[in-house]
Amino acid sequence: MKIINCPINGPRPVSEFFYWGQMRVMPDPVASSDDEWADYVFNCNGAPGVKREWWCHTPSNTWFIIERDTEKDQIVRTYLYGEEE
Amino acid sequence: MSNNHRLPRLPGEWIDRAHSIEFEFEGKHFQGFAGDTISSALWASGQRVLGRSFKYHRPRGIFSLANHDVNGMMQWGQKLNVRADVTLLEMGMQLSAVNTFGGLNKDPAKVLNHLSRFLPVGFYYKAFHGKRLFPRWERVFRTLAGLGKVNLSTPRLLTPKDYAFCAVLIVGAGPSGLAAALAAADQGADVVIVDENAQAGGSGGYQIGGELAKREATEALLVRVIAHPRIRLLTGIYAAGYYTDHWIALVDDKKMTKLRAEAVVIAAGSFEQPAVFRNNDLPGVVLGSAAQRLIYRYAVRPMQRAVVLCANADGYRVALDLIVHGVMVAAIVDLRAHHQPCDAEVELAAKGVEMHTGTCIVEALPTPGCSGVAGARIAAFANGVADAATARDIPCDGIVMSVGWAPAANLLYQAGTHMRYDDLVEQFVPDALPPGVFACGRVNGVYDFKARLLDGERAGSAAAAHVGFGEKRSVSVPVELESSSFPWPIVAHPQGKNFVDFDEDLQLKDFENAVQEGFDNIELLKRFTTNGMGPSQGKHSNMNALRILARLVDKHPREVGTTTARPFFHPVPMALLAGRGFHPVRRTPMHLRHAAMGAYFMSAGDWQRPEYYARQHKDRLECIREEVDMVRHGVGIIDVGTLGKLEIIGPQAAEFLERVYVSRYANLKIGMTRYAVMCDETGVVVDDGVVARLAEDHFYFTTTTSGATAIYRELSRLNTQWQMACGIINHTGAFAAINLAGPQSRKVLARVTTLDLSAAAFPYLAIREGKVAGIPARLMRVGFVGEWGYEIHVPAEDGVALWDALVAAGSPFGIRPFGVEAQRLLRLEKGHVIIGQDTDGLTTPFEAGLGWAVKMDKPFFIGQRSLQIVDKQPQRQRLVGFRLDQAHGGPAPQECHLVIHDGAISGRITSIGWSHILCAYIGLAMVTPELAKPDQTFEIRITDGSLVVARVTPTPFYDPEQRQQKEEA
Amino acid sequence: MPWRLLRFVTSGKHPEPQMFTHHDGLKKVYDAVIIGAGGHGLAAAYYLARDHGMTNVCVLEKGYIGGGNTGRNTTIIRSNYITPEGVQFYDTSVKLWQDLSQDFDLNLFYATRGHYTLAHTDAALRTMRWRAEVNKHCGVESEVVGPEELRREIPMMDMSCGGHAPIIGALYHAPGAIARHDAVAWGYGRGADQRGVQIHQQTEVLGIEVTAGRVSGVRTSRGFIATSKVLCAVAGSTPRILDMIGVRSPIYIHPLQAMVSEPMKPWLDPILVSGSLHVYISQSARGELVLGASLDPYELHSTRSTLDFTEGLAAHMLELFPFLSHVKIVRQWAGMADMTPDFAPIMGKTPIEGFYLDAGWGTWGFKATPVSGKTMAHTMVTDTPHPLITGFSLDRFRNYALTGEKGAASVGH
Repeated sequence: MKIINCPINGPRPVSEFFYWGQMRVMPDPVASSDDEWADYVFNCNGAPGVKREWWCHTPSNTWFIIERDTEKDQIVRTYLYGEEE
Repeated sequence: MSNNHRLPRLPGEWIDRAHSIEFEFEGKHFQGFAGDTISSALWASGQRVLGRSFKYHRPRGIFSLANHDVNGMMQWGQKLNVRADVTLLEMGMQLSAVNTFGGLNKDPAKVLNHLSRFLPVGFYYKAFHGKRLFPRWERVFRTLAGLGKVNLSTPRLLTPKDYAFCAVLIVGAGPSGLAAALAAADQGADVVIVDENAQAGGSGGYQIGGELAKREATEALLVRVIAHPRIRLLTGIYAAGYYTDHWIALVDDKKMTKLRAEAVVIAAGSFEQPAVFRNNDLPGVVLGSAAQRLIYRYAVRPMQRAVVLCANADGYRVALDLIVHGVMVAAIVDLRAHHQPCDAEVELAAKGVEMHTGTCIVEALPTPGCSGVAGARIAAFANGVADAATARDIPCDGIVMSVGWAPAANLLYQAGTHMRYDDLVEQFVPDALPPGVFACGRVNGVYDFKARLLDGERAGSAAAAHVGFGEKRSVSVPVELESSSFPWPIVAHPQGKNFVDFDEDLQLKDFENAVQEGFDNIELLKRFTTNGMGPSQGKHSNMNALRILARLVDKHPREVGTTTARPFFHPVPMALLAGRGFHPVRRTPMHLRHAAMGAYFMSAGDWQRPEYYARQHKDRLECIREEVDMVRHGVGIIDVGTLGKLEIIGPQAAEFLERVYVSRYANLKIGMTRYAVMCDETGVVVDDGVVARLAEDHFYFTTTTSGATAIYRELSRLNTQWQMACGIINHTGAFAAINLAGPQSRKVLARVTTLDLSAAAFPYLAIREGKVAGIPARLMRVGFVGEWGYEIHVPAEDGVALWDALVAAGSPFGIRPFGVEAQRLLRLEKGHVIIGQDTDGLTTPFEAGLGWAVKMDKPFFIGQRSLQIVDKQPQRQRLVGFRLDQAHGGPAPQECHLVIHDGAISGRITSIGWSHILCAYIGLAMVTPELAKPDQTFEIRITDGSLVVARVTPTPFYDPEQRQQKEEA
Repeated sequence: MPWRLLRFVTSGKHPEPQMFTHHDGLKKVYDAVIIGAGGHGLAAAYYLARDHGMTNVCVLEKGYIGGGNTGRNTTIIRSNYITPEGVQFYDTSVKLWQDLSQDFDLNLFYATRGHYTLAHTDAALRTMRWRAEVNKHCGVESEVVGPEELRREIPMMDMSCGGHAPIIGALYHAPGAIARHDAVAWGYGRGADQRGVQIHQQTEVLGIEVTAGRVSGVRTSRGFIATSKVLCAVAGSTPRILDMIGVRSPIYIHPLQAMVSEPMKPWLDPILVSGSLHVYISQSARGELVLGASLDPYELHSTRSTLDFTEGLAAHMLELFPFLSHVKIVRQWAGMADMTPDFAPIMGKTPIEGFYLDAGWGTWGFKATPVSGKTMAHTMVTDTPHPLITGFSLDRFRNYALTGEKGAASVGH
């Protein structure tokens, strides 16, 4: 079973985590066209690669970011939102 | 039958001659010893036929004696497909071979052996597909296929699961594995070493070949391993699968242990591979290692007179072992034209054993009845082809083959190891190992005994160092001097029956034919022939299949490559995978009170909720109707503690709620509540609840029961992302909640609280904090069921006390508890929607009739931008109330019956119920806009196909002016 | 014993022609290029050649024929969907399936077994009634059945489900079937090959040339091909191909796992699905139990296996069938599923002229193999979406016109 390093709780088995999906940057709802908005709402970057994703360590309700290679399932790093550097 | 093939007592034998075990096989009585496997005991008693094959029902006997083939598969009462080679004998076992019809000997299906020419590879693809007749043929195939029988009365077996941890796990306790364990442990690592055999030592215990020093060296290692304080040695347990981050499933006959290692050393050895010649599957044709296991583990003489087929030094060593234990070796046949004689060969030559080089066995000659070997037909063998002209027969009752090995690399593949074909050892060896994974011994292409010990030391040391214990030792492992595997141990025969895969009865020509038909890469070949897809998963067949394909397509085995090895290494019983099962159930604090009052429980997500409270001599509907009547006319009480209960505090709390709910909360007055609808980003309704403002910067709010976990989690995420000045607390499990509802509810509550309950002091939709029955509580005047009522939230530990106090206070008023069903009807009479029942995964708030709650002029809320887009499009559907004609007498429509208009589907019923107070069927339906007009009629098609007319009716159906819940009586 | 098997005895040699022709190299120009030699791609090639006479077609496959999800699924075929569009589409597929063995002269082991979706909750039963009513409306046999009928038809099942989730009813779909998955790809492949279509295995697509908004060619690991029509039929890898032409889609990839038991004598005829327990089971003609469960919970472009999948699936299965305790699981595997937000495929035209998409098959692509091939061939030839697939267009997301399958999606399959 995969181990994920929660930035707060350290390494824990993947069964304790909830995957939300890729981080997406919301466009300005006022400035964006209908098509741009629909693209944001529905479309995603589905090809494999290193992606930034939202995950939650559910027992402690800790949300954080994982940078993960979605082809090899290798975690590059994990960090709290906004504490990237 | 008795042990007439048992050898005199041998040092290190696994059987306990003091404990005799009686058992039955195919109705006959047998006797073996404790420590015997089923196969060894039967063989010791002279029973050569242990089973019949899958396709042709050919007799089969011991082949690998190592669980690398499934010739001996037994039915043992409720246990099916029991592997006789490795299942320990137990007193009183009653065994029969699987896949026979009327017993092992009779088995009329053995006629299939003679029909095999009609049944070439993939024959079933080529016939039987007449549309009319196929179902009958399928029945025949299904009955002929299938191995053991499932006994449908077998009870569920509950087994424990264990967890283990170690720094270095070593898979395989043979010489290299033991050496690796010692090296790793000596460097300070905590080591677990596992072996599937009943005893450790691996080939060091039985591949003697005249060199007892090897066994002594193995035993010496074993003594050190057992004594080592940092090594745990586990036997009779196999590593069934390797999973991400060194998570290994270890399986024994009682349980599964999930072990997390920091590094893994695979020292799993190799599978001895068969030679392919006609009748190579006859009982009595055995692998060399199987003969040695029979002798040294179980003290069983494999045969009386043997012909040994070899292509490596191992074969000569086996011949020595045979001779030492009283087997007459009639001849040794070596496939190789030239080779450097090994010590064993020199010794055998000195004994005058007949030897042939550049020679093969073209055919095992069967005894009458084909239940054993009568002789070996040998012939000159050059360039992979037998010269039939030189054929001659050597009488014998057994053929022993030792022509090569294939790595037991299953776990290495599962771990993601890249393997390469090594021409020197003629096998695949690890090329690039994943981090923390190591290999040693035969699986690593190292065969020489001393070299294996060094290779083990190397790998064990490297594994410990990887984990941080000590330095990686520099150990030089000598290069192999000869290949233990012959590149082409395969002899064609015009009459076939030269088997490659014993599980699936695949012959050499099946591969030739498959390739001819175009299945000429290893994956296609596997799928068309089913090679390696049987229960032994190709352990004895994949290597030869690969060699055959390489030769047929004129490629190097390296270019042909291997198929993927997936879990499991050996099959795992479902009971061991399942363990005890785990069923989390949530109960509210008042659960036992509900049970005592006769509650019939239903599941609501993980929660158990009273559906209704059963009463003597009354049916379900009657009970529900009485519960509804009590709320409408007196007072009722319902446990609503399963609702999600959240609190948000901070200067930006109001702003946060405005962003996640469609309504406005910045202007909500302190002490008041407001209905709340939540959408997702596509504008679809996902949840609802009530938001209450306790202070300028402090709100308490509820979610649906089923949405609680997900909503809290998502709000937490949004708060993490938005980084607003507020915090969210989940009180769902920490608070109990009760709704006290009905015209008498205020009187009941007044008996247990000093709060001013007047409409002026505590108006409709207000929230108050105070004590109820001495318990600190939050009280909200809500109207979900459409009567005067209070939703009272208290700490979970006080829930029972509050319930008891309210029930006691309500008893003069005839208070009754009501369940989810009554609540559903009460809310339906009010036209309130249930998210997820009256809405689905595509419903917008406009369609659900909740547009009044949506404040599109707010700066932002989730779903707003999408709703702007959707709002420009014509509406697709709309939720409406409807009522059936009061005279309707037939069967009533049910939820999800369709609305049919002009022969097309124009909607569906989402809720329906009989309203006692309105004396009519009422409901909600999601219909196309043209059917949603006031007073419009539409037709509902019910299960029997008949149409029922419904009329669009404004909601609320009951008390449309909302007087009951708002105004003082 | 059917007479046709006699020829194997009377002929000295194996009297079977090669199913797939070997081609030394790629041609420079094809009228159409199909990416992916799975069931869908080969079916499209077959119908292009058979129904439309378009034979200068090649099918490019980076692995081997049927090696993707065609060979990894659990072979369930049914049409009990919830939208009329879905039901008609899949019902067309089921009808094509029923004749396929005879069309191909290849036994696909298409076995109509009946399909039960078990309900453990009121909500599940409501959704099943919805499905049954829509199905019946479209002329497809589906009905809600009660516990008594289940006890009669599947008497060995523990209706209390170990006491944890009692079964209160089921949706019964009589046409539910299973088939031998690999053979489907071989049948379509052979049929296409016989009509002149070239199948190139071990040929990877590296890029797609687009000139002025139109497809003009395909770059492969074995050279460049000029063509004006490309069909992408690579479920599990769709986003990689779409990235090559810069087309955005909602498709995301999650693995779907399955496992199989050792063979045993037949005891289970129908196909069973439990939406609440998220498990399904059928027994193959070989006697193996083929078992599956829900999608893996996170994006992954890999077919690795997990142990917890087998643990959960076995635990749930033993609740339905406690007597399987001693039955052994022999192998587990995984496929990569193209998931869409509304649990329906994405089929038809794309913003790039001449580039056609057959994707988003989630966990339900196998059953659609024939109809997707037929409708995509039509779409490619006419450059107009086939009427059966207009609801599945890529631009439905832009238009907020998602399919109703999202409305009541329980477990797929």
